[in-house]
Amino acid sequence: MRVKSWLIVLAASLLIAGIGTNQAHAAPYEGYTYNYWGNAVKSPIAFLPSRVITGEEAGTGTWQSPLDIYAAKDGLLYVLDSGNARIVVLNDKWETVRVIQQFEHGGKQDSFLNPEGLFVTEAGQIYVADTENKRIVELNQDGTFVRAIGAPESDVLSETFEYFPRKVIVDKAGRIYVVGRGVYEGLIEFDSDGRFTGFMGTNRVQFDPVDLFWKTVSTKEQREKMIRFIPLEFNNADVDDGGFIYTTTADKNTTSAVKRLNPSGIDVLRVNGEFAPVGDLSMNRSSFIDIKVSSNGVYRALDSTRGRVFTYNEDGNLLYVIGQLGNQVGTFKNPVAVESHGDAIYVLDRDLGRITEFKATTFGSLVNEANRLYSSGKHTEAAKLWEEVLRLDANYEMAYVGIGKSMLREGKYKEAMTYLKLGNDREYYSKALAKYRREYMREYFGMYMTIAIGLLIGVIAWRRITRAKNERRIGDVAN
Amino acid sequence: MSLIKELRYSLHVAVRPFDGYWDLKYENKGRLRVALLVLFAVTVTMIVKRQYAGYVVNDNYPLSLNSINEFKYIVLPFLLWCIANWSLTTLMDGEGKFKDILIATGYAMLPLILVNIPNILLSNVITLRESSFYYLLDSFGMLWFVWLLFIGTKTVHQYSVFKTISTMLLTLVVMGVVIFLGLLFFSLIQQIISFGYTLYQEITLRE
Repeated sequence: MRVKSWLIVLAASLLIAGIGTNQAHAAPYEGYTYNYWGNAVKSPIAFLPSRVITGEEAGTGTWQSPLDIYAAKDGLLYVLDSGNARIVVLNDKWETVRVIQQFEHGGKQDSFLNPEGLFVTEAGQIYVADTENKRIVELNQDGTFVRAIGAPESDVLSETFEYFPRKVIVDKAGRIYVVGRGVYEGLIEFDSDGRFTGFMGTNRVQFDPVDLFWKTVSTKEQREKMIRFIPLEFNNADVDDGGFIYTTTADKNTTSAVKRLNPSGIDVLRVNGEFAPVGDLSMNRSSFIDIKVSSNGVYRALDSTRGRVFTYNEDGNLLYVIGQLGNQVGTFKNPVAVESHGDAIYVLDRDLGRITEFKATTFGSLVNEANRLYSSGKHTEAAKLWEEVLRLDANYEMAYVGIGKSMLREGKYKEAMTYLKLGNDREYYSKALAKYRREYMREYFGMYMTIAIGLLIGVIAWRRITRAKNERRIGDVAN
Repeated sequence: MSLIKELRYSLHVAVRPFDGYWDLKYENKGRLRVALLVLFAVTVTMIVKRQYAGYVVNDNYPLSLNSINEFKYIVLPFLLWCIANWSLTTLMDGEGKFKDILIATGYAMLPLILVNIPNILLSNVITLRESSFYYLLDSFGMLWFVWLLFIGTKTVHQYSVFKTISTMLLTLVVMGVVIFLGLLFFSLIQQIISFGYTLYQEITLRE
């Protein structure tokens, strides 16, 4: 009897213990960042998959190879169901609000033909890159037709120019930028009235010196069979609140896979760290296919090589990596688009026809918040959060730099040096060192000088004494 | 001559190479043990430099530092230089014996220690903006070393200026050839061993 009750108690306690160690929802991918030397370092997972939706669950039937999504400012999520040539609008509870399939255009029913890109302005106007119809379609929020912008017309375009708009973005002034298929001159720019105004932000031509050498020594016939040096086309774009355009290029050799174009088309992306934002630093590099700028300069780029979303801050430092190719919830088969709204990230999977939503973990929200304070110059407040970050991930170099900079401002130069060294920021370490050196010298200069002068006097005195002694000795000997 | 005197003499060679190297060879003032001591000290300085040079100019990944590596970067090139130089100069009417070459090269490396030690100390108190002084001193040490090596080779083999320069450049080429032959040799040995091992496996596994 005794034994039995003991066993029951034991079993019950084991059961409770089992409940007590409620494991965190295991993620299907690993979190990591890159350190100063370019080695991948494990890091806590910043975002976890929270929910998933497919066409059936949204009540619209299967999405056929959807190619783009857009999270509007009001929380509505627009899905471009390309295979079915329609737009599905979801609200924040993921209920279907509206399906835009057809619209009235010039008295007739019109529809899309293999559209590839979607953009929604703050006012709620929907722009669709209607690829096979060779036009951009603007719709009102309720799906009524506003206008269609056809192929650009200009003397600068060659006769053979073929216009297949793939992605479209609209800036605050209403200028429309189009990523065209096979267009390597840059983004096609239209003014707010839909008139073609030119190209902007061309990628630089990249070539191999070895190729160039062979090209110079080969004959004309040989040259014609060689690959031509042409700049690479952009494959996606996004626009931030300041009107800067972020573009991606799917090239594994370039160091400027992400560009931030100012209004005159010049790349002004900030790269503070050792490596430009190129995703993975392995042999088989990432190739970005979509980019989303969220608030205060943070941008997320989607990599199609391994299905990862890389989040960078405005200085180009990697904050965290989420996602992966795979078969679990939170991994993808063929990711094509990334969006974010609030503290959620959405990734659209083309082959599975589904959207995965990711929500920030404790670590992720700490990093986000610390980075927000840090980039708005509130170093002291940020430092407190960076300390929390370090408690979760002692390898997070940015946190050390953040704390170090805050200490530098507070005048704790010695401590700042320690932190900046851990964070591998040589520039600021050097600044802290200069300040510390000055402080040190101010305090100890007098002492060192006293010692130096004292030694000097001592040496002189000692010499005189020994010389005097020697003379006396010589004198003695002479006597 | 005691070791202290020999070391002081090596300093004399570094400062007045023409006079110093002459006495080194013809007055028999050069000592092999000093040359090897200098070689050892240079290796130690290099290890210390990699580890303790100021953070601002020290870009080494701490986990990749390995003192054994310094043998690859200093001791091996030193021996290779001496061997290559000796094999070349015996064909080109050089007067130096192998021991002379060893001594001349060893003494020539002294500036690397003389410059590096204060430089390591200095590098710990300089900022990024002043780091060019560090690199200036560093290259100064290197140039001094090359200068001494030049004078040493010229004196030891009794060459003209032009012949010395061409010999030094050719020595570098010969070093490359030696490395190539060495790698080829090891690769062939490796293949022979693996061939033998496969043969052995074939025979033993057959029943």
